[in-house]
Amino acid sequence: MKKKMLFTILIAALALSACSGGGGQAQPAIVRVGWAGSPDTLNPGMAILTEAYTIFELVYDSMYELNLDGSFTLSLAESANVSDDGTVWTFKIRDGLKWHDGQPFTAEDVAWTYNLYKDTPEYPYLNGYYTPYFDTIEATPDNEVVLTLTEAIPNIESQLVFLYILPKHVWESVNKTEYENVEMVGSGPFKMAEYVQNEFVRLTANKDHFSMPPKVDEVIFQTFENQDALVQAIRTGQVDMVTEMPNTAAESLKADENIELVVGAPLAPGVTDIIFNQLDPENCPEGGICSGHPALRDRNIRLAMAHATDKQQLIDVILLGLGNPGLTLIPDGLGVWYNSSLTDYEFDLKKANQILDDAGYADTDGDGIREMPDGSAPLTFRLNWPSDSINAPRMSELLAEMWGAIGISLEPQAVDPDALTAQCCPAFDFDIMIWGWASDPDPSALLYVYTTEAIPTGSSETGYSNPEYDELYTNQQVELDFEARRDIVWQMQKIVFDDVVYIIPFYDANVQAYRTDRFTGWITDQAKVELSDITSLVLIEPVK
Amino acid sequence: MNRTRAVLRKTAWSFFTIVFVVVLNFFLFRVLPGDPARAGIRDPRLNKDAIEVIRVRFGLDKPIINCFDSLNPVKVGNCAVNPLETQFFIYAKNLIQGELGISYHANRPVVDILGERLWNTILLIGVGQILSIILGAAFGVFAAWKARTSLEYTAVGISLVAWSLPTFWLAILLLFWGSTMGLPVAGKATPGMSSLPLLQQWGDIAKHMLLPTLTYTIIYMGEYTLIMRSSLLDVLSEDYILSARAKGLNTVQILRDHALKNAMLPLVTVIAINLGFTVAGVIQIESVFSWPGLGSAIYEAVIRRDFPVLQGAFLLIAITVILANLLADLTYTYLDPRVTVD
Repeated sequence: MKKKMLFTILIAALALSACSGGGGQAQPAIVRVGWAGSPDTLNPGMAILTEAYTIFELVYDSMYELNLDGSFTLSLAESANVSDDGTVWTFKIRDGLKWHDGQPFTAEDVAWTYNLYKDTPEYPYLNGYYTPYFDTIEATPDNEVVLTLTEAIPNIESQLVFLYILPKHVWESVNKTEYENVEMVGSGPFKMAEYVQNEFVRLTANKDHFSMPPKVDEVIFQTFENQDALVQAIRTGQVDMVTEMPNTAAESLKADENIELVVGAPLAPGVTDIIFNQLDPENCPEGGICSGHPALRDRNIRLAMAHATDKQQLIDVILLGLGNPGLTLIPDGLGVWYNSSLTDYEFDLKKANQILDDAGYADTDGDGIREMPDGSAPLTFRLNWPSDSINAPRMSELLAEMWGAIGISLEPQAVDPDALTAQCCPAFDFDIMIWGWASDPDPSALLYVYTTEAIPTGSSETGYSNPEYDELYTNQQVELDFEARRDIVWQMQKIVFDDVVYIIPFYDANVQAYRTDRFTGWITDQAKVELSDITSLVLIEPVK
Repeated sequence: MNRTRAVLRKTAWSFFTIVFVVVLNFFLFRVLPGDPARAGIRDPRLNKDAIEVIRVRFGLDKPIINCFDSLNPVKVGNCAVNPLETQFFIYAKNLIQGELGISYHANRPVVDILGERLWNTILLIGVGQILSIILGAAFGVFAAWKARTSLEYTAVGISLVAWSLPTFWLAILLLFWGSTMGLPVAGKATPGMSSLPLLQQWGDIAKHMLLPTLTYTIIYMGEYTLIMRSSLLDVLSEDYILSARAKGLNTVQILRDHALKNAMLPLVTVIAINLGFTVAGVIQIESVFSWPGLGSAIYEAVIRRDFPVLQGAFLLIAITVILANLLADLTYTYLDPRVTVD
């Protein structure tokens, strides 16, 4: 009886919805993308989430394009010239560009936007990180932008790539922080058509774009709060591509003949790290508690733990094989900056035990846990992770097992992320933590985390301090020669790898999928995988 | 006259409860550990200055309350501060002006976010409640009428199962089943439908509503069936039913004119209470089906530690529960003259 009732409702609703189908004309090519997020805001100054940047990349232009191999190409300007001392950049903006609303796009817009980012301290990323070297920015009557820097820097491309150019005629009159920018007048390959936060973003093609006119007519990003629904949606054809999925779904999607799975380094690098508090009490910053276990300051301990960490097992169990073992905070996704010449510490319990024996850490009371050489304290470490981490609980169990085999015991405890931040840095009130970073295409941001300078700011989580490294960090910031800078960056990675500052269990991988029966031309053969990147979305076309 | 005064008194009590909730709600989110300005943002590109700018923007640099020397012997708060510049005063002032602050995450007014979401939830809960009340009450009457037959046992059995099903589990099962039937698994409408005729848009929304509403209805129908059945069985054993039967009235007349109105009372209580508690169930349903309502807003806000949104949502829910209870109190007197308002 009850079943029949429900069935009747179902039929009624289906009948109601049946009249919503139809439409006879030539179907526009609409790409439906499913993702688990939504932009936090469309105001480029206030945005923090990757999803917002994905949309900016499609709707706005910037001076440079970031390619999937990690390189940059000049986009808005025909040419870029730099003065001999490296401080004055002159960009000749292409002529005849137009905003989506038909207004002309000129060097004046570019200069105005750069000045806006430079002079608005409320823009957390842009102002703090990308514009500190800007001195003056001016537009010339020849449609040129002259950018004068306070000092020569080696990475002007990565400093400018996320500074999307805004239309002066729209932005001049709005409140720069409160403006929600829902209309989003841009100049890029796609135009904003409709936006409902946490529901969808609908973009239409700008077929007149100067360098990348899309072949499809529309792209729709739909938000799925539930990743199982996302998987089900691509399986049943409700979406044509998904930008993420639970790793557990990968195997079954691979088996679907109409779905192609792609795995690779993400566009925005992500790292999962095991953090050792090795802060020298002499460096304890103001307000610090600095309660780290003294043993962790000894490289031998960290080296032994590195040898006792079976990264492949961690990847197989936690990520179901979808990830790469890591070396330092600089992930493989950073392309040329990643030091691929380093060889990881092999998983070897015998060797690990040997190192500890030689260093004098013996188990004197026979409880299976080694003590400090002076017998003062057992090698028992607190292990914390943010309670919202999905992977960390499993990792902590595996680590307890692996390190237990060399006489090191752990006290695992999940901690509220806020509380963990307070405990972490610059308080240094912990022994070991599992956490992670997300960052920038330029290696500087992540390299900074290892510096002595970062200890009081809260960016350094290990308390690592090495004058040689600090000097190299400064050098790479001013080294203008690309090859020379890369060599320094590689050398820095070698230093922190040899010092076992962190154990990096794995680099996060992007696991995405697209339907092969809908669109073709997705870029999948690059170092990084991002199907929602502009480079892919302007290339794809409907399957005939 | 007496009745009017009683109603006024009840309303006044509800108002005080709401004021209490407003105060509690403020402190609830301020005693949580850590710094909301830093939570969820872990990027070496964010330097100290940038974090400070965020804190200033959301007023987090200001003291929570100032200290009232006489009222608070432990000296909580900062005594040197002008009370007009405390977070609590600003919160109270904004609230009176109908503002709930700015979302940490979305950089827009909380009122706008909740306003958008509220109607979607009302739509979902409204249709779901109406369906489950009608179906639940009908099954309940049916079960009581067929008491001590195998039909009753089946109805009770199914209802018990439906009532005890975990909401998210049923939702996921229906999602998988529905997706193979071609039903949409996420959202309120197909993106890009807004240019179509209204009727087609409604059809599209109905299609999207089907699975979440079905989940909702199944979960609540069981409960209403059980309550209706037991309450009706109680009433049917009363003497006046026996005398009605002796007067020669038929079953329909007895049920309609003598039994049902009395048997409705417990159901009304449960419905009123449920209106508040359903938000909990709706969080699960909405987040499984990505239904853009209040429940999924709460879910996202919890994940992102968006305290202003949570604070606003909690306030809204508290007010709803209090008003629903007030309404139930007042409805009682109408349904059963024996119940007086005081």
